[in-house]
Amino acid sequence: MTAAYLGRRLLSILVILFVVSFAVFAITQILPGNAAVMILGDFATDVQRHALEIELGLDRPWYVQYWRWLGRLLQGDWGTSMRLSRSVASLIDEAFWRSASLAVAALLGVIVVAIPLGIVAALRRASLLDLGIGVFGLIGTALPEFVTATLLLVIFAGPDGGFFPAGGYVPLAESVPGFLMHLILPAATLSLVLTAHVSRQVRSEMSDVLGSDYIRAARLKGLSASSVIFRHALRNALAPAIAVISLDVGYLLGGIIVVEEVFAWPGLGRLIVFGVQNRDLPLIQATTLVLAAAYAISNLLADVLIALLDPRVRYA
Amino acid sequence: MSDDDSTVLSVRDYSLDYATREGPVRALREINLSIMRGRTLGLVGESGSGKSSLAWSILRALPPNARELGGTIRLLGEDLRQRTRREIAAIRGARIGIVFQDPSTSLNPTLTLGAQIAEVLVRHRGLARKEALAEGERLLARTGIARPADMMRRYPHQASGGEKQRVVIATAFACNPECIIFDEPTTALDIITARQILDLFAELQRETQVAALYISHDLALVARVADEVAVIDQGVIVEQAPAAALFAAPRGEYTKALLAAVPDPRRRLVNAPPDIDAPPVFSVNRLCVRYGQTSALMRLLGRAATPVAALTDIGFSLRRGEILGIVGESGSGKSTLARAIVGLEGFAGEIRLGEDSFSARPLLDRAYRRAVQIVFQNPDASLNPRQRVGDILARPLKLYGLARGADIASRVAALLTDVRLPPDFAGRYPHQLSGGEKQRVAIARAFAAEPRIVICDEITSSLDVSVQAVVVRLLLDLRARTGASCLFVTHDLNLVRQIAHRIAVLYRGDLVDLFEVDAFDVAGRHPYTRALLEAVPIPVAS
Amino acid sequence: MPELLRHPAGVAGTLLLAILAVAVVAGPVLAPYDPQAFHTLARLQGPSLPYWLGTDQFGRDLLSRVLQGARATVLFGVGATLGGVAAGSLIGVTAGVLGGWVDSVIMRLLDGLLAVPDLLLTLLIVTVLAGGGGHAMLAVAVAFTPGLARIARSAVLSVRTREFVQAAVARGEGRGYIIVREVLPNAIGPLIIEATIRVSFAIMIGATLGFLGLGAQPPSTEWGLMIAEARQYMFRNPWCVVVPGVAIAISALGFNLTGDALRDLLDPRLRHAAAR
Repeated sequence: MTAAYLGRRLLSILVILFVVSFAVFAITQILPGNAAVMILGDFATDVQRHALEIELGLDRPWYVQYWRWLGRLLQGDWGTSMRLSRSVASLIDEAFWRSASLAVAALLGVIVVAIPLGIVAALRRASLLDLGIGVFGLIGTALPEFVTATLLLVIFAGPDGGFFPAGGYVPLAESVPGFLMHLILPAATLSLVLTAHVSRQVRSEMSDVLGSDYIRAARLKGLSASSVIFRHALRNALAPAIAVISLDVGYLLGGIIVVEEVFAWPGLGRLIVFGVQNRDLPLIQATTLVLAAAYAISNLLADVLIALLDPRVRYA
Repeated sequence: MSDDDSTVLSVRDYSLDYATREGPVRALREINLSIMRGRTLGLVGESGSGKSSLAWSILRALPPNARELGGTIRLLGEDLRQRTRREIAAIRGARIGIVFQDPSTSLNPTLTLGAQIAEVLVRHRGLARKEALAEGERLLARTGIARPADMMRRYPHQASGGEKQRVVIATAFACNPECIIFDEPTTALDIITARQILDLFAELQRETQVAALYISHDLALVARVADEVAVIDQGVIVEQAPAAALFAAPRGEYTKALLAAVPDPRRRLVNAPPDIDAPPVFSVNRLCVRYGQTSALMRLLGRAATPVAALTDIGFSLRRGEILGIVGESGSGKSTLARAIVGLEGFAGEIRLGEDSFSARPLLDRAYRRAVQIVFQNPDASLNPRQRVGDILARPLKLYGLARGADIASRVAALLTDVRLPPDFAGRYPHQLSGGEKQRVAIARAFAAEPRIVICDEITSSLDVSVQAVVVRLLLDLRARTGASCLFVTHDLNLVRQIAHRIAVLYRGDLVDLFEVDAFDVAGRHPYTRALLEAVPIPVAS
Repeated sequence: MPELLRHPAGVAGTLLLAILAVAVVAGPVLAPYDPQAFHTLARLQGPSLPYWLGTDQFGRDLLSRVLQGARATVLFGVGATLGGVAAGSLIGVTAGVLGGWVDSVIMRLLDGLLAVPDLLLTLLIVTVLAGGGGHAMLAVAVAFTPGLARIARSAVLSVRTREFVQAAVARGEGRGYIIVREVLPNAIGPLIIEATIRVSFAIMIGATLGFLGLGAQPPSTEWGLMIAEARQYMFRNPWCVVVPGVAIAISALGFNLTGDALRDLLDPRLRHAAAR
């Protein structure tokens, strides 16, 4: 049963990635009409434009272009960054793990803080604690990441005597404490925003579960409060909470872009911003695909987790 | 009513309010009742009567806005109102059990059935986990589950409604409680399964001598189950007597009205069987409906689902002015039949209306759709919440060109009067009407088209008993006046025996029986029909 | 509407939106100074009597700039969302009404687009369109379309199966009538709620684009742009970034809370009707 489920999900991810690749290609290369003009800008000479057109294969019909592009991608040739004159694959290779460490740190923060927060808020509904968590949640969702990032910088990282560095990156291989010190503020920024959102959702799911008929039945069986909460309620609230968190990974990826820019963290996000600001097509295309793939795969992992938690999904 | 040693549960002078935004609402007023060992007290009332509130009070599980105003609730002499929360938690499940209405929602979907029965044993009888599981299996076997070891490992969604309810009952009886509360335990079940559950309960009660409070809105059912019956109306117990006495000679006005509203097959509401020799106005021939046609995309992905035959070779005819009852359990296909006839489902086979024959859904023309109308089960969903009643009723008139301009308003008023609603209801929105009123509007809408056939798909199932009676009477009136024929789909056998001329029985998509109404009990009936007949309680009456 | 005011979140949200509305409508008039005027003698000051919220690195009055920026920011958010709603509803309703293979194909496309996070999709489109506030707004509208199409489609699907729609089909009503008179008026609810909440996201994305230099361009007083310009001075006068930050928060919160309140109000009635 689970094998079939996994198989179906993998298939749909492939379909999704296919669609995404086409969308990315369509937006960046087909729609503008003439990508060469777009890349080179208005001051390009005809000769330069023509050369670029041939290099990018723009003289061919769009479906041929797409096919060749896709083929190259799948074979590992992700093109060369126009501005940085390095292979895109190598750029992404470096940047990927840096972004991944940021993402993982942020997610850890969220899981450790947001889920218990949401559960406690649901248990103590309408209390001051619940209100506080609610307000925190609201404000968190109303602040774009760059604002939160900037505020954190102002508070914790002053130019003289601030506790944390105001940005930058130290490789893990070089110095573990250095790496961590530079990691904390950007990860905290991401965590803050996500925690606000996730804790609200967890609270809402947990509330729903606590009000359900089977929880009432469990209480009326005389079971202890802790048994009702941990054995009965939590199990049912976690699955939808994970579903919500997996959707938030998309939000996280968007946040990474901005946070890396503010804190000068050299990951995928910074690459994308650089690419967009400089119209570097191959860079933009490849990084977008990598991020979309990461999102799709994280959704798959979440689905697997949900299937493990909820027998109705497993044995459907 | 004095308390002696055999009184298990006793409620004295108990009153309850709910604090709402509009002020306190009195839910229970000076309730007095007692239940003896081994006896069952039936508590009968319609929705809003307070019967569920009483159950919550006994279990000490009232919502936060409840305000108790006095009185005592004693379990074997101890006043439960004086107990602390911990003591109550120890009492629940161990000394008082409860069986809820819908086993699908009262069982935890993510725990196995075995785990859910074992946990009460661990908690209240102090058994170790292994012993608890073994005992749980034994209890399941006692409640008639065929393969108890297998059932222990299953999850709720893998068991049928009847099986789940048996598990719930086993759990309730597991710790040998002194008292069990049943809150409409068979409403969500099929007729036959419900009967089996009731028999099971009677057996277990004889064995354990447990005192039972049986809450229900179904008088006929309670008559069969209870030793004593208390009738509750708007928080007050208006009558209380031994069951036989109550049904034979009801004293209160409300009780009498309630009894009169209960469908009794011995009280026919329709006379004059229609002209038998006239040609049928409507018939279906070898009607089949299949679900699960896979789309091309699904087939490409290799996921072809096997089609399910919802209806197979259905054939019957309707005479002018006749009422044909269609009965069956859930899953029998009776709603599918209604939907197919009215053009909401694709079908194979033939439908004949008068002289015209139709062999597929796209062929059903405007004339057919006007002549065949439907009234649905759920009054809350069958009226567009954004349209006023007047517009809802005017629509068929406009669509079929039956009235124009100024005529429309007067026709709408006439329709409302036909269903005994005040004409100024035309300006109201559906959410301003009660369930029964909405259903009446739905009926008026169906008759507005001046149909020849009216299909009623479980139109009374969502209504209170007293409202049901009114709606049914209205329907019969309108039918008698307009000469329309009626297809009455229902699972309520008593009701259908009151109003139908002939009855068709559906079982898993097949038409297994078709007979005149007074031939219900005759030899030659299909065994399934017999089983249905035996399973349905007839009210004990005069 | 009156019910909205009884809900606590609704009250707070409406209040914030009211403040915002005042700023949008009367901002430039209420501003004490010209938002572009340099007051070189009073640069990077905190709040003081002549300059209530302080000044930025060029000595421009923060209060005036923030008030003027309200128009750009809010109009961006509302405009982008309305664009997304229009396009999304069209696609979603078509998919929901037509069903069959059209629906399947559209759903696959939407799923694919939804696999790309909002901001990322916006950046992609902005790449193509060049910078500027107008283009950014278009980009956000396009990025929002798949999500809104999904909501529109599911709203249509859930209404389609309701019995009063079935009754209309059984009556033999034409498709047009059913869509316009029976389905749409009842499917609009969830869409309005989602749209309201999305305005807050649009505002935030717009500010982010402004911050990245990809949206509104100087000398616009768009709030994200204000923060970007003041970044290097933020340690000397944090008010430069705090003031526009709070303004963004107020706007986003206003729409968010109102949307939440609307959802709470609509839901219980829906749930009650569907439960029986």
